[in-house]
Amino acid sequence: MRRGLPGWLVWVLGLALALGLPGATWKGAAPPAFPWQSLLPAAGAVAALAAAAPLLAWLGGPDLARRRPLALLEAPPDLLWAALILALWPAAWGPPGFQGWLLAFLAAALPGEVRWLAQALPPERPFPEAWGKAAVRRARRLVLFRLWRRWLAARLPVWLTATLVLERVLGLPGLGTDWLTRVAVRDRLGLAGWVLVLAGLWALSHARTEDAA
Amino acid sequence: MRTPILALSLAFASLVTPLAVQPLAAQVVEESLQRDPGPLDFIQGEGYEQWILQSLAGDALVGLSPGGRLVPRLASSWKTQKDGTTTFTLRADARFPDGSQVSAEDVVWTVQELLRNPSASPTKRAILEGAQAGVAQGQPWIRSPKPAGRLLLELARVPIAQKDHPDRGSGPFAFRKEDGAWSFTRRDHFLKPRVDGIRFRLLPDAAGVMAALQKGWLTLGAPSTRRQAEVPASHRLVTQPMHAQLVVWSHLGVGPLQWLERWRKDAFPPQLLGLNAKPSRGLWPETLGLELQSIEAATAPPKGPATYTLLYPAGDESVEKLLLALRERARKNGFELQLTPLEQGLLAARLMKGDFQLACSVVVFEPHPWAVLEYLEPRGPMNVTGWRHPRLADMIRRLQQPGDLAWHDLQQLWAANPAALPLLDFQSVIWVDKRLQVEPSPLGLYLHTPGAAGWRWSR
Repeated sequence: MRRGLPGWLVWVLGLALALGLPGATWKGAAPPAFPWQSLLPAAGAVAALAAAAPLLAWLGGPDLARRRPLALLEAPPDLLWAALILALWPAAWGPPGFQGWLLAFLAAALPGEVRWLAQALPPERPFPEAWGKAAVRRARRLVLFRLWRRWLAARLPVWLTATLVLERVLGLPGLGTDWLTRVAVRDRLGLAGWVLVLAGLWALSHARTEDAA
Repeated sequence: MRTPILALSLAFASLVTPLAVQPLAAQVVEESLQRDPGPLDFIQGEGYEQWILQSLAGDALVGLSPGGRLVPRLASSWKTQKDGTTTFTLRADARFPDGSQVSAEDVVWTVQELLRNPSASPTKRAILEGAQAGVAQGQPWIRSPKPAGRLLLELARVPIAQKDHPDRGSGPFAFRKEDGAWSFTRRDHFLKPRVDGIRFRLLPDAAGVMAALQKGWLTLGAPSTRRQAEVPASHRLVTQPMHAQLVVWSHLGVGPLQWLERWRKDAFPPQLLGLNAKPSRGLWPETLGLELQSIEAATAPPKGPATYTLLYPAGDESVEKLLLALRERARKNGFELQLTPLEQGLLAARLMKGDFQLACSVVVFEPHPWAVLEYLEPRGPMNVTGWRHPRLADMIRRLQQPGDLAWHDLQQLWAANPAALPLLDFQSVIWVDKRLQVEPSPLGLYLHTPGAAGWRWSR
């Protein structure tokens, strides 16, 4: 509990900010209905990212963090990936739906997350490289297994909310659009609900991390 | 390393390819919404996007023609008595989606629910403030302290909901909410809609709308004002004036407004204005049929140099550029305009508190001349400076019909010491599929009668 205190303080601060958000609307505006239908796609996207990033980090190892192509893929903002998907999407297919959104989400998020994990891997020279490929793979697997929960706890709130740009450009209202609309209509209770849910997810992952430690 | 990445790429590609969307149905109009309108609710729903949904799924007692004149809608006729009571004769062929006929009880329930429910639409509550409703000889009546001419024009913004069903109207289209889309399907209705349906997707980003228009995924939409793109071969350009202006309020008295009235004439380069805006000319919107009037203050404009802080809504690049042009123009007369962007909610709060020197915002007026009273009335939502005048109440009582002489007198009163001045009149620029026939109007394409029910596909 004591180790998580700074984290809890951040969430309490977030809650206070949500409840005390300054500003008003010109005429009273109703808060949006929560997009329940977006929960499953969002969970699917997070699951895909949570599986693909460690897998690629495991395959690439710590050297991956220094690869220039990965840095190049990491640099463009979400807006560019969304615009690229939109531009390249064949007109005859109709507007890109969840598939296009997932593609843009992974293109935008995966390089950064792979680098984050690869950088956290310990050096492999001279050991365990000298012990052979099997030892290297095992060492990476053990490290990533320990790292995975902590990484998930740190990044989950970001993934769940940072899809806003993709949603706006691709026209798929989801979780990102929801919290932004609540900010616009000054739905302070709704925003507080958002903070509590994210804090709950963080606490869940954090508790499990501490258990594992 | 390459093989797994290739495998992952192939996996992504396989996700996409088999799920390619079928070609769009030819008779359904594909449209976009800039903001989430929230659930369809004839009682609590508020905002421009919600008005669009309600105009498609509901009918008000009266409508406004594309030219802004009063026309029958749910009521085939109406009669106003000397005590201000207006009795409506309902159409016999107006029905809700469940087949039941629209009755006087539905009208009375809608009015009473709007007045009773504190969460009801603030705009509709303001329209019906002090009103009473009842049934006489099977027909609904409404009595209001407002002049009948005003009340009738305002009632065009109050669609009637089915009793105890705030989400159910009798409009020309049946509503269905889909994942990420708002769908309307043609109904058997007295306005005889000719397009099979309309489907809205939420597209808040102007670049996204632009790409969707260019790819043919939208039948109509507003192109980005930032890019001077060619109209695609499949679409045509439609422009329509709007009851919308960029308005500046002054808490420093009439002096800064006198200067702004001069600067607005030559501050804005035509290439910045494009088709979307033109400098305003009077004190109130020309589109509402009000005569042009200049400021007629008793004092001369203040002499420079002086510095004014102008708050404006952040995020609208085109407005920001125009304000920069205004700042350059002000410098020629020795005035410095300190432009301060504020997020919409923060700006609204500052306006309501009266905590500003100069502040501007885009204002969309209700489609009748009484809309300007929001500047003048003590509790008017646009009276953010506390403007008042002892003769105001008497003058408002004399406003019985649009075009009355009293409007001239009222504007003279305002012109002597205005608290606000419009800088720009906005115009809506949209691309419309060449095969779709629509009727442009200052009310937009939806909010007049017949609105979208009058659209048709050309062969």
